[in-house]
Amino acid sequence: MKIECEKWKDQLLEAALTGTTAKDLEEHLQSCAKCSAELDEVRARAARLDALLPLVAQGAEPSADFRARVLAAVTAKEGKRGRPWRAWTLAGATVVVVTLLVVGVTWLRRNEPAIPAGEVAAAQKLAEWRAPSDGLLRTPGQEILKGMPRLGQSYLHVPVKTDEEE
Amino acid sequence: MTGTCVSVLISKAEAPETEARFSERIAENQRRVFQIAYSVLGNSADAEDVAQEAFLRAYQKFASLREAEKFRWWINRIVFRLALNRRRGHGRRLARDSAWQMTETPAMVDGAKYAEQQVLLDRLRREIERLPEKLRSVLQLSLVEEMEAADVGAVLGLPAGTVRSRMHTARKLLLEVMK
Repeated sequence: MKIECEKWKDQLLEAALTGTTAKDLEEHLQSCAKCSAELDEVRARAARLDALLPLVAQGAEPSADFRARVLAAVTAKEGKRGRPWRAWTLAGATVVVVTLLVVGVTWLRRNEPAIPAGEVAAAQKLAEWRAPSDGLLRTPGQEILKGMPRLGQSYLHVPVKTDEEE
Repeated sequence: MTGTCVSVLISKAEAPETEARFSERIAENQRRVFQIAYSVLGNSADAEDVAQEAFLRAYQKFASLREAEKFRWWINRIVFRLALNRRRGHGRRLARDSAWQMTETPAMVDGAKYAEQQVLLDRLRREIERLPEKLRSVLQLSLVEEMEAADVGAVLGLPAGTVRSRMHTARKLLLEVMK
């Protein structure tokens, strides 16, 4: 392409892509063989490009068992999601059983038959009873030691008569 | 019986029907969903992985995606995002399909012609990778079967007019470089 034809480059691309030629370009093409040839070349290139472009996305197909594999993956994932549901159910059942046990035991305790008052009083008396010798057994020497003279004290106290009395 | 138990039993009873409907949705959408992933990733194995992941996510939200049209828009968007994420994650390590992995088209029966086409296709993919992101996204989605400008716009959050304009710019840039 001549240097003076460079300005037509963009219009040539547009013409090849849209299939329409602008009036000023058409006039130029009548007098410029190089640009006419260039337009033919760009059009051929555009046709090649249009044939190739779809292959960028449509050059391959999903495998024949794609749908089956997706559904199998869905089932596997759902199975995994199902397990926590079973665990929660088990945990809930355990809580219910334990609660029932606690309530039952409490109810049974509340409804036990009361002990008659007479029996309670007798048991109380029996618990408080002490044998008469218990006090002595606890402190056997205390009473005796109370009456014992200490060191230096006379054991017998003999009253002495003074001279005046005599 | 608690409300939760009742709802679990109802959902279990509805499961076969849900799976049947979901299976229908896969059949209707799988080709397009795969192609969206393939246009971004360029290899079948990764494209299938991403397409499968998109359908699994769709199943989790299937209760709110019962309408065919809603499902279609949602899955187009999610598979495109998943494919972009994978491409960003893998970077240059992402392999392209080699010639024998491609679907055979009538034009490919002739070996020499097929080889030439393959070379051109590889070059075209490289040139697409070099396009600015906003043009590349529009182009990749527009090349998928049944993806009209409105569908592409729904995925990218663009008006259909902008999609057409960007598509034209992308084609023009490619036409210039694919000499």
